[in-house]
Order: sequence, then C-alpha cells, then structure tokens
Amino acid sequence: MIHLRAWPQGLVGRATVVLILAVLLEFIGSSILYERTDLFADRGRQMQHLAEQLVAAERVFNELPVKARAHKAETISTRAIQVNWSYLPPMPAEPLSGPLDRARDQIVAWEPSLADQEMRLWSNGGRWPADQRLKVALKLEDGSWLHFKTRVRAGPWALVLGGVGSAFILASGVLIASSLLLRSMGAPLRNLAKAAHEIGEGRRVTVPEEGAGDVKLVAQAFNAMQGRIAELGAARTQALAAVSHDLRTPLARLRLRSSGVADSSVRHAMEQDIDEMTAMLDSLLSYLGGRADPEPRRRTDLAAIAMTLVDAATDAGHEATYVGPDHLVAEVRPVAIKRALSNLIDNALTYGSEATVSLRSENGQAVVLVEDNGPGIPEECFARVLEPFQRLDSARARNTSGLGLGLSIVQRAVEDEGGSLKLGNREAGGLRVEMRLPQA
Amino acid sequence: MLDIQRELAAGPPQSVLVVEDDPPLRTLLMRVLREHGFHALSAGSGGEMADLMAANPVDIVLLDVMLPGPNGFDLCRTIRRASDVPIIMLSARADEADRLVGLELGADDYIAKPFSTKELVARIRAILRRASGGVQEPQIRRSRLTFDGWSIDPGRREVISPDGVSVDLSGAEFDLLLAFVASPQRVIGRERLLEMSRARTTDASDRSIDVLVSRLRRKLSTDSQGEPLVRTVRGVGYIFTAAVQRG
Repeated sequence: MIHLRAWPQGLVGRATVVLILAVLLEFIGSSILYERTDLFADRGRQMQHLAEQLVAAERVFNELPVKARAHKAETISTRAIQVNWSYLPPMPAEPLSGPLDRARDQIVAWEPSLADQEMRLWSNGGRWPADQRLKVALKLEDGSWLHFKTRVRAGPWALVLGGVGSAFILASGVLIASSLLLRSMGAPLRNLAKAAHEIGEGRRVTVPEEGAGDVKLVAQAFNAMQGRIAELGAARTQALAAVSHDLRTPLARLRLRSSGVADSSVRHAMEQDIDEMTAMLDSLLSYLGGRADPEPRRRTDLAAIAMTLVDAATDAGHEATYVGPDHLVAEVRPVAIKRALSNLIDNALTYGSEATVSLRSENGQAVVLVEDNGPGIPEECFARVLEPFQRLDSARARNTSGLGLGLSIVQRAVEDEGGSLKLGNREAGGLRVEMRLPQA
Repeated sequence: MLDIQRELAAGPPQSVLVVEDDPPLRTLLMRVLREHGFHALSAGSGGEMADLMAANPVDIVLLDVMLPGPNGFDLCRTIRRASDVPIIMLSARADEADRLVGLELGADDYIAKPFSTKELVARIRAILRRASGGVQEPQIRRSRLTFDGWSIDPGRREVISPDGVSVDLSGAEFDLLLAFVASPQRVIGRERLLEMSRARTTDASDRSIDVLVSRLRRKLSTDSQGEPLVRTVRGVGYIFTAAVQRG
C-alpha cells in the first residue's frame, strides 16, 4: 500500500482526489495542445497574409513608374506590414536558418508564383521566431527591391487566455458535477453508518437498498443481519421475561409460607428478601417490557403524578416534598413517566433522607427536578449509572435492592418522550436529576 | 385470631373459589383462606371452575391469569356474562396494562404475585364487604360517570379533567372520589367516608380523611371560580356539590 499523508480515508474523498488529479491532467494537457494549435494556426494565417501582400505588391510595383514607387510604398504600408522601395539590395543574405527556411517555404506554399522570384528573409540577428520581427526583400523585374518588415506574433495571448479560461470553466464544471455525483454515491454508505449507530440504541433501522451494486449488497446484508440480531434479542428478552414471570409463582408460594413462620424476626427477614426479589423482577420486567407494548401518549397532569408519589412517600414515613403548581400538562405516556419519577424518588430516598420534587414549565418543556441530600454521584460516573445493570461499586451499592435498572428505565422513558435527562450534584451535597419533557 | 371469631360470629363462612394451575400454590392458598375463616374451593382450570360454580354457591373468585386452556381474562369474561360474583385477578405480571385489561373485563380487583397473606385477605374482605353492603351498585362500579365536565372511569380507575387531561389519583383518593360520586349532593360523615375510601386500599394509610380530601381537592382544582367540588360541612363531614351523570 502506498501511504500518502494527504490520501483521504473516505471512499468519496479518495475518489475525489483521483478525479481532481485526472481533471487537472486533462486540463493541463488540453490547454497546452490548445495553445500550440492556436499558435500554428495563427502563424500560418499571418504568413498567408504576408504572402498575398508580397504577390500583390510585386504586381503593383512592376507596373508603376519608378518616380511613384517610393510614395506608393509609403501609402500601402500598414501597421502590420511596412513596405519600402529601394534600389539598394538588402544585406547579404544570411544563410537561411531552420525557422527562416520554414517561413519561406510557408510563403511559397501559399503563393507558388513566388518560388521563382529572388526573395530574401532575415531576422534580427537570426533570432526569429523568438524575436517576432521578420524582414522580407523581394527583387522586382527591374532589379530594384521591395522591403517588407512585419511582426509575426508567436503567442496571441488573448486567444490563449480565452482558451485557458474556457478550459478552466469546463474543468470546474466537470469537477463540481462529478463531486456531487460522488457524494450521492457515498450517501448510501453514510446512511449505513448512521443506521449502524442507531441500532446500538435498540431501534430497528431499515437501510434503503439503493446505490452502486456493491453498496446495495452491503445494505441488503446489513438489513438481513439486523433482522437476525433483532430476532436473537427478542428471543433473549422473551426468555428473560418468561423466567421473570415464572419466578413469581414460587415467590408467591414462599411469601404465603413465610406467614407460617413462628419466629417473627425470621419471618420479617424472609419477607424482606421476597420483597427485594420482587422489586428486582419488577424492574427487570419494566425494563424489558418498556418497548414491547408502548402505551399511547395522552395529555397528562404531571403535577398530579408528582403529588401522588410524594404523598405516598410521606405516608410511608419518608421526608418528601413537592414544590410546584397544582396542574402542569404534558403529552406523555403516563404509566412510563410515573414509573420513571417513582424510580427517581425511590433513588433519592435510598441514598438520601429527603427528596424534593419540583415541577415547572420552561420554553414549552416540563422540567421535573428531583433532588436529595445524599452523597451524590461522582461526575465521571454519570454516564455509567445510566447503563442498564450498572451499579456504582462503592460501599453504598450493596444496601440497595434492584438490578441497577432504575436510572436506565428513567432514561429510556424520557428518551421515548423526546425529552432529556440530566444528572448533577447539588452544591449543598446530594444528587439532582432533571427530566425535561416536551409539553405538546 | 380475632378475625376468625368475627367471621364465625357473622354467620356461615363465605366461600372463596381459587382458580390456579400451580398445585402447591393452590394448596397454600386454600390453607391460608381456611385459616382466615373462609370456605375454600379450588379449581386447576376453567373446566373445573365451571363445574364447581354450577354445584356450589360461590361468594368470590380468585382467578389466576396464566392458566392452561382459556386464560384468566377469558374466564373473567365468561363469568361476567352470567353473574356479578366478585372476581379478584391474580397475576404474575405487575403490568399496568394487564391490570387495566382485568378491570375492564369486569374484575373487581387485581393482585400481582407475590402477595402477602395479609394483603390477600384484606382485599378479599374489602370486596366482599363492598358487594354485600351495597356500598356501590354494580353499575356504578362499571359505567362511566361525569360531573361538572370531569369524567371518571371506575373500571380503568381513570379521571379525566374538563380539558381532557388525565389526572393521576392514588388508590385511596380514587375510592374517596367514588364514594362522593355515589352519594352526590348529600352530606357524608367522616367515618362513612373513611370506611368507603378504605374499601380497596389495604396499605392502611393512617392519614385522616381531611388530608385525603385536601389532596383530592388540590388535584381536582380548576381555574374557574365556581363552587368547590367538595365542601366541608363543619363538624359533620363533606358534601360533593356537583350533580353526577351516568354514561
């Protein structure tokens, strides 16, 4: 493999680089060619013009009386070609260099009648065509000479620039069009990557099976794989749920039997164990069942839910307070949200001795805040406590019941509503959990 | 043991039919019920249940949801077609959805496994008391009621505000509200209210009826400046001021 630092990693990036190089090459090559042909064509045209002038002038001057010739030469001179008439021969002919020889041939080729004439070409020190000035002397019938001075432009810049410009516009057009094309070719891949990210979050995402052949195959395989993963996951969830259900019958027997235990302290301990197991099963089932049969959303009084839970906690002998309005309506799934808030209050009362639930409306969102006076959670653990089956491995972890699903259930319920969950520590100590739920 | 004496004093024992497919649990339930002075019958399936109900007078049915063959919900529906006998669903699922299905099919209560003896017996007693004492007529138990724009569904235990908002009530608050709407525009004494509002709830809250009433008032408060739904009658009790419509 060639390792280039500028070699992009993306398929589209690489293809774009290749494309840029190709177009650049084409651009350079074509512009060179364009310039050359233009040069030749132009020089040829100028030579043709010169040849015509030579022939015409020769005919005119041969007919003209000697006295009128000098004046005539002046009148037919143009900016491009200056004509002089003189008895004096030009400087002795320089040996014709390659380019001059070719110029002469070009002139003769245009006007074959000049082939037999004595015609001398020379340039400024033999530097033609680098030096554009070209002189031609033509011997007339009476032995006098006509001198022509002209410039043969080697690089018609305007034309060349025009060529470069149009080639550039063309090339950029090609580049833009092909970049867009490549982008659209890369879109299925980007969709695939996006889908793969979303799958991790438990949703089923179907990737459109489109695009280039290879990409389409990948998308098909991806969808099929997803189906298998979903089936596997569903089978496991079902098995886990079935076990959780089935465990309830033996637990029910155990609980009924426990009432027959004479020793009250043993009976009490047994009942607590059974309660703990029941709580674990409950949290497991609500975690597993959360997405299986979603309850419908409805307009719900969040204040009433908060008050019910806070009142239940105070009736059970805990310090819990509700601060907020008598009514606050949001469009949510009431059972899921009640369970979430109940988990938060339970958490607060497990780790702290006081729970405060406050409720307010802010920018179309219902903000539910649950605060406790416990030890809080180190900030670096915030992400971890939201993971299912995760509990902080500190000393306090073991005195809690449950499977470490409490906050995961909360997070999922809040996410399902399109809301957000934020953990924080209070300055005075204790955890502060904020749920934000869209009201409409 | 005071319970047993009281039950015995009250006349012939009431018969409880247990429909449960797990034999050990069935046996345990029978034993617990007998210890508490009930006459217990048991069935392992719907077929046995039908036979027993045809042959014996049954005062209350404990019905497991997960049964082989027709499940508890099916049986509940079947029983309701023919009789108003009180039904308590027993379920291994603590699901809210399951609870609602059961109550909608006409069950009177729903207990999730595992339940304690105390909880089970208290609920059976509460339901039997309600059924025999005529605290609520069956129609009141099942049909939708409206008052002052509010509507309540006793089956689903659901309260909807005049704005169409679902308002959550605790079990005791809901039972208190049911007691009020059963006797609207009449003064009800504190003792009577306490008895009726505890019909269902077994987690004996020692809160006074005044606390319950104030919680209910707060949840049912509206912005309108009309007469309060629940008015205090000093020294006696409370009166529910709104007229109640059925249906």
